[in-house]
Amino acid sequence: MAKVESRGLNRVKEIYQDRAQRARELKAEGKKIIGYLHLYPVLEMLTALDLVPYSMFGDMREPITKADAALPTMVCPFLRSLLDLGLKGKYDFLDGVVMAHMCEVGEKLAHVWRTYIDLPYSYFIDTPHTTYRASLNHHKEQLKEFKKSLEEFTGKELSQERLREAIRLHNEQRALVRELYELKKPDPPLISGTETIRILIALMSIPVQEGNDLLRQVISEVKQGDHAPEKKSARLLIWGSMMDNTALVEMIESAGANVVMDDIWVGSQAYFPDVEPTDDPLDGLVHRYLEELKCPRTFPATSVDSTKKVYMEDLGRRFRYIKDYAERWNANGVILETIRYCDIHGYDVPALRDYLDSIGLPNTHIEWDYSEAALAPLRTRIQAFTEVIG
Amino acid sequence: MRPLRANIDKTYARAVEASKVGKPTAWCMVNWWEADPILYAMGVEAVYPENYGAVCAADGIAQVHLERCDAEGFPNYLCGYARNCIGYAARMKDFGGVPPDAPLGGMEKPTLLVGSSALCDARYKWVQALGRYLDAPLWTVELPHPGVKEWQRKGVHEEDIRFMVNGLREFVTFLENLLNKKMDWDKLDETVNDFMALNRVWYEVNELRKARPCPMHSRDFWTCMTASLYPGGDLKESLKLYRDLLAEVKDRVEKKIGAVEPEKYRLVFAELPPWHDLKIFDELAERGWNFVIESWAYHPPKPIDLSNVSDPLERIAGQTYQWFTGYYKDAWENGEHMGYFAYPYLEFVRDYQCDGAFLHPLFSCRTATNHLMVVQDRLMQKLKVPSMVVEGDIVDLKAFDHAGAMRKAEAFEEIMDNYKQIRKEAGIAW
Repeated sequence: MAKVESRGLNRVKEIYQDRAQRARELKAEGKKIIGYLHLYPVLEMLTALDLVPYSMFGDMREPITKADAALPTMVCPFLRSLLDLGLKGKYDFLDGVVMAHMCEVGEKLAHVWRTYIDLPYSYFIDTPHTTYRASLNHHKEQLKEFKKSLEEFTGKELSQERLREAIRLHNEQRALVRELYELKKPDPPLISGTETIRILIALMSIPVQEGNDLLRQVISEVKQGDHAPEKKSARLLIWGSMMDNTALVEMIESAGANVVMDDIWVGSQAYFPDVEPTDDPLDGLVHRYLEELKCPRTFPATSVDSTKKVYMEDLGRRFRYIKDYAERWNANGVILETIRYCDIHGYDVPALRDYLDSIGLPNTHIEWDYSEAALAPLRTRIQAFTEVIG
Repeated sequence: MRPLRANIDKTYARAVEASKVGKPTAWCMVNWWEADPILYAMGVEAVYPENYGAVCAADGIAQVHLERCDAEGFPNYLCGYARNCIGYAARMKDFGGVPPDAPLGGMEKPTLLVGSSALCDARYKWVQALGRYLDAPLWTVELPHPGVKEWQRKGVHEEDIRFMVNGLREFVTFLENLLNKKMDWDKLDETVNDFMALNRVWYEVNELRKARPCPMHSRDFWTCMTASLYPGGDLKESLKLYRDLLAEVKDRVEKKIGAVEPEKYRLVFAELPPWHDLKIFDELAERGWNFVIESWAYHPPKPIDLSNVSDPLERIAGQTYQWFTGYYKDAWENGEHMGYFAYPYLEFVRDYQCDGAFLHPLFSCRTATNHLMVVQDRLMQKLKVPSMVVEGDIVDLKAFDHAGAMRKAEAFEEIMDNYKQIRKEAGIAW
C-alpha cells in the first residue's frame, strides 16, 4: 500500500519530532544544506542560490558532555548545547554554516565552531551593533561580501532577479505566519502558543517554498477550529531569549494561560518584518536585518542631533511595539523569559518592566537555565501570576 | 610605576571639579582609543566606570553596589563592573549626587554616556540600562569584529576602516551638537599622535619583559596599564611617565633584576584578575611564580606606522583596528580562528617562554571567559604548556576561593615541572 503523505499539523509534528530527517533527504537528492544561527544570517541569499537554510538549535534533553572542553559553563546554555551537538556529529549533514554577530557568545561560538568542526563552507557576518548611518552603509558592504562568498561556494551568480524572487518567497512566508498569528486573536485563540512554536520550528527546518505550502495547509486546518485550546482567563505575551522547543510554553499553557503573542526569536521576531521592495534589493535587506529585527542585541541609533534623553521617552521608542502587540492580541499579561547568562536580554529586564508598569500591563520575570528540570519550580510562579491577572 | 596610577586616580577629582564648574564630562566605556582622543580634543573630562569597578572592588564598597543592583532587578550574572556601576548610579539617585562613601571622590552625573561595541555586549547594554538613573544622552562607538577567515578577503580591512571613520565622524557631529562647539581638528591631530606615542612606548616596555628574569610582574602591568586603557588624567604627563618606566625596566633588564627572585616559573595570566584579592600574586611570587605576560585585551597594539595618514579619524581607526586584528595574519597562518583573545596567548606563551597559564574564568564576564577553554586546549596541543583554571570574579569577592587556588598552585608546580621535561623531549625551545 502506498504511503499516505501527512499534511498540515500532522506533518508539522513529524518534522518537529525529527527535524533533520527532511534535511537528510534533501541532501541525498543533491541539495546543499546550510545551517544558520539566529536572526541575522540573510536567508534570502541562501534560497536564491538554491541552498537550503536550516536553523541550528540546541537540545535541552541531551546532556552536555563535549562542549565543556570548548565553552565554559558560565556562558549561554543554549549555545553550549548547540556546540555540543555539533561536536557529537549531530549536524553532520550540513554542507556549511552561516553565523552572525548575534551576541558576543554567539560570535565566539562561530569561531569555536570553526576551530573544531570542519565544513566545506562557513561564513561569519559581523553584523553591526548600531543603526547609525555608517552602520547601515557598512552592513550593505558586508552583504555584498557575503554574496561573493556564496557565489564562490556554489559557482553560481546571484543575480538581482534571483534575489528578488527569494525575497518574494520569504516575504510570502512571513505574510503567512502573520496570517497564522491572526488566528491567535480570538478568545480562545484558534491555535495554542505551543502549537505555534512547533509550526515555526518546522518551518525553520525545511526549504521556504515547502514551508509556504505547509503553512497554507496548516492555516486552513486551524481555521476549521478543531485545534483551539480551551478559553483561559490569562492571555499572555512572552518576551525573551531563546526558545527552540515547546517545553516552556507548554508548561505556561498548562498553568492556566493561553500564550497569544510573543516577542521571541522563534516567533514574531523572525517573521513579522518583511523585506521592503527597493531598487537595489540589498537596501531592503539591510533595512530589515539591521533596523527592523527586534532583538535587543541591536542598539537603536541616537540621531546625531539628538542631544536630550529622557528615560520614559527612550523606553517608549524601544518598546512601543510590545504595547501594540498586547493591544492587538488582547494580552492581559507579559512574561519576561530569560535564559541564564543571556546578557543582552538580562540588561533589558528592569527597563522593560518599567515600561510595562507605566502602561499598566501586569508582568513577571522568569529566568531558567535551558533545562527541563528548571520548569517545575517555575510552574508555581506562573500559576500564581495567571491567578493574579485572570 | 606608582606615579602612573596616581595620574589616573586624579581623573576622578578632575571630573568632579569639571562638573562643578559646568564643563562637560562623560562616563565612558573602555574603547581602545576610539572615542578617547575625540573626547579629549573636545574638552570632555572622561571617567571610566569599568576602572571604577576595579577601584570599588579594591576599596571593598563594591559589595554594597552589587547588592543594590540585584535589588533593582538586574540578573546577578551580569558583568560585575556593570552591576557595581548600576548599583552606584541607583545610590546616586538616593543621595541626590555622589554617595558619601564613594572612593576617590566618586563619579558625578555626566553630560553624556559613551558605550562601545568592542568585545562585549555589556558595554553598550549597560550604558543603555543606566538611563534608568541618569537622563544623559548616549552614543555607542562601533568596532568591527571580522572573522579571521573573512578578514583575509580582499577589501575587508579597508571597508572596516572606512566604517569606523564614518562612524567616528557621526560621533563628532553628535558631540558638536551636544556641546555646542566645533571640533578643534588641530588639537585632535596632536592628541591622536600623543596616544599613538604613548601606546608605542608602553608596547616597548612589555617587549622587555621577555628577558630572563622578567623585570616586571603582572601586578605592575595592571597598575601601569590604566594610563593607556583608561586614558584620563594628563596625557602628556602619562607619556612622560611611560618613558620613565621604559628607562626603569631597561635598567632592570641590563642589571638582570627580576620582579621575582628566584624566578622558578614564568606564567601567563588570562584574563582579568581578582581585583579584590591581588595579594594572591604576592603569595605566588613567594613560591617563585613570575607572571611575565597577561590579559591580551589590556595590551597596546602591535606598532603600526600611520604617519602617512593625514586624517586623524583614520589614524584613530587604524590604531584601534590594529589592536584588534594585529594577530589575525599569524592566527590564519597557524590555522587558528580565534584571532583575538585566544590566539594571542599562543604567541605570548611562545615569545615569553611561559611554563604555565593561570586562567581565571569569571562568573560575571562572558567576554573574559568565552575563549579560555580554547586557550587551554591550544596551549597544550601546540606548545605543551599546561593551564591552571581558577574560577572567580572581578568584583564579587564571594566567587573566589583564595585558599583553594593556593592548594591548586602547589599541585600545579609538579605539572609545570613535568611539562618542562615533555617540551624538552619534543624539542620546544624552553
